[in-house]
Amino acid sequence: MAAFGRFSQMLLRSSLTQTRRQLAAAAGHGGDSAKTWKILTFVIALPGVAVCMLNTFLKEKEHSHDAPPEFVPYTHLRIRTKRFPWGDGNKTLFHNSHVNALPDGYEGHDYTCLVWDGKDRRILFLILCP
Amino acid sequence: MAHQAHAYHMVDPSPWPLTGAVAALLMTSGLAIWMHFHTMTLMSLGLLLLLLTMYQWWRDIIREGTFQGHHTPPVQKGLRYGMILFITSEVFFFLGFFWAFYHSSLAPTPELGGCWPPTGITTLNPFEVPLLNTAVLLASGVTVTWAHHSIMEGQRKQAIQSLTLTILLGFYFTALQAMEYYEAPFTIADGVYGSTFFVATGFHGLHVIIGSTFLAVCLLRQAQYHFTSDHHFGFEAAAWYWHFVDVVWLFLYISIYWWGS
Repeated sequence: MAAFGRFSQMLLRSSLTQTRRQLAAAAGHGGDSAKTWKILTFVIALPGVAVCMLNTFLKEKEHSHDAPPEFVPYTHLRIRTKRFPWGDGNKTLFHNSHVNALPDGYEGHDYTCLVWDGKDRRILFLILCP
Repeated sequence: MAHQAHAYHMVDPSPWPLTGAVAALLMTSGLAIWMHFHTMTLMSLGLLLLLLTMYQWWRDIIREGTFQGHHTPPVQKGLRYGMILFITSEVFFFLGFFWAFYHSSLAPTPELGGCWPPTGITTLNPFEVPLLNTAVLLASGVTVTWAHHSIMEGQRKQAIQSLTLTILLGFYFTALQAMEYYEAPFTIADGVYGSTFFVATGFHGLHVIIGSTFLAVCLLRQAQYHFTSDHHFGFEAAAWYWHFVDVVWLFLYISIYWWGS
């Protein structure tokens, strides 16, 4: 629905470019093209932004109560080959503790970790990880 | 009597190319020092020198062009070529990051789970804030065109209004992106997905800030009667740059936000 707004805006822009050329040709040197673009601004461009703002606001409200994604200690994510040169060196620049887990889990959460013996393929023990 | 028998601009000697080069040296070596020894002094010094260089060099160009009449038609043509070539170099800069993104996403490795987006990555919904950002930048392309026509028609008040609106839209985009960066469930350290996402959108965001600043300088100049209806290349250069930033966003939106989700 919101995508339709953007597509129609893009389509209209290309057909309006043709219209603008026609207007410019008709008026000789396009003496009042500023008016054309002013109309485009207030009739299409800014309302398009307003529609998208409304859409965003409604969608955000819809899932403002969602919990952050479950923490799984994947090795291909949360990479820390070198300390960051700020703070404790473990948090990214835009770190948000509500939605960004650290390598060993979300801050302030406790996890039950199982220690897995890959060679003999068995669980060695369960521990509580802060 | 010292009159030149040609229409070109033989520029007076200037220290700014040297200070600019020194700034580049201090910033790059300062960045390396910061990464390894955790002190920001050298990098900050370089940044300060860069800002001083930019301010004074461009101030001098404005003086030469607007007040001293050195920007004759052939000189302006050269400036146009220069801006076009610069923007072309920036296109290639972004091409590299798109290459990195497509290289990683078209054939995702087993380490990522053999899929794109990689396992464990929660992508952003392209039809929420990213769509709004697209509308904002497209709208700013319309307003900057309104500004250009206003300047060409000698409509001072409209030019100031439309240019201000363009800059406000630019700031709105930056604010929305900053919020998205903070709220994103993934970070730059989340494998190649995080790297390609934040480096590509991050450099784009930096270019939005640069473009907004360029437009803001044009607004100040327009308010001070620097531009005429026939001669306003500084504004045209800013508008070209702004359209370039808009187009890069469209490619980012289609490739990374939409196809890559």
